[in-house]
Amino acid sequence: MRIAWRGVELRLLVPILLLVPFGFLVTTVAVSGTLVSGDLTLAIGYAALLLAAHVLLVVFGHRGDQLILPAVGAMGGIGIVMLNRLPQDLAGTSGFGIELGMAATQLLWFSVGVAAMLAIAIGLRDDGILRHYKYSWAAIGILLLGATLLLGYEVNGARLWIDLGPVSIQPGELLKIVLVIFIASYLAETRTLLTSATMRIGFISFPPLPYFLPMLVLFAAVMLIVVRLNDLGTALLFFGTFLTMLFVATGRRSYVLIGLVLFVAGASVAYQLFGHVQTRVDVWLDPFADPLGAGFQPVRALYALGRGGIFGEGLGQGIVTLGGGLTIPFVHTDFIFTAVAEELGLLGGFALLGFAAVLVFRGLRIAALARDDFGGLLAVGLTISLGLQTLIIIGGNTKLIPLTGITLPFVSYGGSSVLASFIMIGLLLAVSHRSAIGADAEADQGARA
Amino acid sequence: MTGEILRILLLALQLGFVALLYLILLRFAGSLLRDLRSAEEQQISSRSGIGRLSVLESPADEPPSGTTIALGPINSIGRNVNNTIFVEDDFVSANHAMLTFRGRSWFVEDQGSTNGTYVNGHRIDRPVALSFGDELTLGRVRMRLDR
Repeated sequence: MRIAWRGVELRLLVPILLLVPFGFLVTTVAVSGTLVSGDLTLAIGYAALLLAAHVLLVVFGHRGDQLILPAVGAMGGIGIVMLNRLPQDLAGTSGFGIELGMAATQLLWFSVGVAAMLAIAIGLRDDGILRHYKYSWAAIGILLLGATLLLGYEVNGARLWIDLGPVSIQPGELLKIVLVIFIASYLAETRTLLTSATMRIGFISFPPLPYFLPMLVLFAAVMLIVVRLNDLGTALLFFGTFLTMLFVATGRRSYVLIGLVLFVAGASVAYQLFGHVQTRVDVWLDPFADPLGAGFQPVRALYALGRGGIFGEGLGQGIVTLGGGLTIPFVHTDFIFTAVAEELGLLGGFALLGFAAVLVFRGLRIAALARDDFGGLLAVGLTISLGLQTLIIIGGNTKLIPLTGITLPFVSYGGSSVLASFIMIGLLLAVSHRSAIGADAEADQGARA
Repeated sequence: MTGEILRILLLALQLGFVALLYLILLRFAGSLLRDLRSAEEQQISSRSGIGRLSVLESPADEPPSGTTIALGPINSIGRNVNNTIFVEDDFVSANHAMLTFRGRSWFVEDQGSTNGTYVNGHRIDRPVALSFGDELTLGRVRMRLDR
């Protein structure tokens, strides 16, 4: 194992290490009204965590992309600063005689996530385990869903949680990864078959059914259950990711067309059948129709965005609590973007989107440079899934699309989400590392010849 | 009066935080641009290929294991030295297999070899489409199709 210096990564990380302590400082000064530094333990802990991740990647000679970790670090940094600013009793853990507030718990989950990311990025030298056991992955996915269906309990009308003693997890977050691995491996194998043979109906050519069916059946089952669990955001996320991967694998526009038609049909059926879908759409069209009932959350969120304006109210100066409760319910999970935009303004919101854009751009670059079809499709699936999740929840926050409750990756509070997102980054880094090693071997050979 | 100073200081701190965010974003933009430029240069200097074979295992060391072979659109593989890809192995036939790039995909076809051609461990009996990353086995020689 050779040490591989990661200069670009370090250069980008340095200002991010300063960002979080600076944000904590500004918050304390704003809230207390005096010039005191406050407790910077968490901020320094976060910076140390990022630095440790960087050092470990260097020591283990990791050759993967150097912009991914800083982009994630910046998003997570904004998240920690915002979560530290919100009331700390919104969430938290206690155990071993220690009580942790929300920001501290989030930092704990970040540590677990970074550890998982490093383990995958460094340890996964061969993708065979992902690639050759695709039906095992499919089985794990179905088990996860089954567990949610049987053991899950409901929070806010969506049954997504499983209680595992000290912690509750959201299997849907892990299902997302398993599903991407399965689809990537399936498509890598059947890609050429899906593009070659065709059935034609009119001017649209369809894929040959026998090769297409197994995936379609599994996917339909997943969608059915997810919709059954009332988890509409996740359903939209899965569907968008699936369609993108299919398009990337085959290069066929007709698949996308069929997918979109299916989506419109499915969405209108869901609107007719399910009351909660109707409510969501109605609230989206006119939140002010029922500002104290169904429209309460979006109306409050819109006001917060308005208060933020271009430059924002300033850290620690937004109206977070009102009349003893939160101004916006679930501000720490579903509406974290609104909180950022209220206190850091349009500029802060754009910066956050910018970091997400860097992540997506680099993810797609990793996919383009991948040495084999499976690695490429895996990278596309993971990247699109993260990017789409960001767009769906920010779109919901800003009333661009109907609101669906999913997390903003790396920013929202939530252990399952943080862990799953870091596992995805670990997989991306592993794919990237393999292509860098391959390119090196080739260059060596060229030099010798 | 002190309250006034504190307010101005706080405003400066607040704007400083947003400015720091954009400083970071600017650095990202710089890194991205540098990367794009170097990628462009690399693309000009490197040969543009449709694919290559990485030799994973080759007991007689011809082709040497660990090397990669740049592929043309039509490649014949076998122990006969007139093949595009010459393979020295007792279990490989003189004219063993044909590896061709048609349209957008790679295909491999066995040329009636004695010991057969294997794709990912399965013996093929007709032309088979390959994906990048698939493994070809001829005799005791293992190769992988790469981009």
